[in-house]
Amino acid sequence: MRKSIIRRATKSVDIPTASTADIAFLLILFFMVTTVFRATTLHLKIKLPQARSTERILMRRNVSYIWVDNQSKVYMDDNIITEDLVAAKIAPKVWDNPELIAILNVDEMVNYGIVDIILDQLKEAKAFKITFATEFGRL
Amino acid sequence: MQLREKKKTKHVMPTSAMGDVAFLILIFFLTSTVFTKDKGLKMLLPDKAEEEDIVQVKPENIVMVMINPAGAIRIKASGVEKDLSPHEYDEIKRIVEERLLERDTLLVVSLRASKEAPYKNMVHVLDQIKLCRVTMPDGRKLRANKISLIPTSEE
Repeated sequence: MRKSIIRRATKSVDIPTASTADIAFLLILFFMVTTVFRATTLHLKIKLPQARSTERILMRRNVSYIWVDNQSKVYMDDNIITEDLVAAKIAPKVWDNPELIAILNVDEMVNYGIVDIILDQLKEAKAFKITFATEFGRL
Repeated sequence: MQLREKKKTKHVMPTSAMGDVAFLILIFFLTSTVFTKDKGLKMLLPDKAEEEDIVQVKPENIVMVMINPAGAIRIKASGVEKDLSPHEYDEIKRIVEERLLERDTLLVVSLRASKEAPYKNMVHVLDQIKLCRVTMPDGRKLRANKISLIPTSEE
């Protein structure tokens, strides 16, 4: 009689550990996918002009970039090229993909003359879809 | 009176894995989503014109915007000729919209930037032209779609 009064409730308390492996794998996969090994560092300092009618370009697979820095140097595919070589560089890409959009990342301090030469080169290579890269902003 | 005892079965769907599934989907989309970082002003260049392709545009359908090496703007539209300082961009929009209301879809905006003109000014002018939006009296919404960039070699 007395014994039953002081009897303690025995509960089994344990943390389930079966899914620990799942969590570990999840973390592994997460870091595998998000880690990017930087192979090259491009030191291009380009300040894009601002424009209020800036639109997003949704076709990411169809783009090719042309960079012009504030020293009027033209870069394409990680190489410095002269502006009259743009047509030769972009023509095979247009041949592969007629929907190609050439994105011109041109520094805002560059003279328009060089942009005009590039536009002429793009016309020659039949890369008619172009975008002047800009930052969204108020004037 | 109950003749037969009914069977009572308990149906339980295991829900403990629901959280795992949710996290899996969350992480999948976290890693596979790519935000578009490319943005800019879209243009469609014309093909190199053959002699027979050249279309004459009536002078009254043209708004000519010129940018000089200092970035100053001159805007020329049938009879009106106006010099603007490099920061009166709103005026371009006003004039183009006015012409658009009058000339409808026939309007061609031609942008002629000098070789030495800063690219920035050319983009700002192009931006103003692209911002133009008018509602015609019959309810149609119009934009200045016909923009031509005049090559500097034609100066």
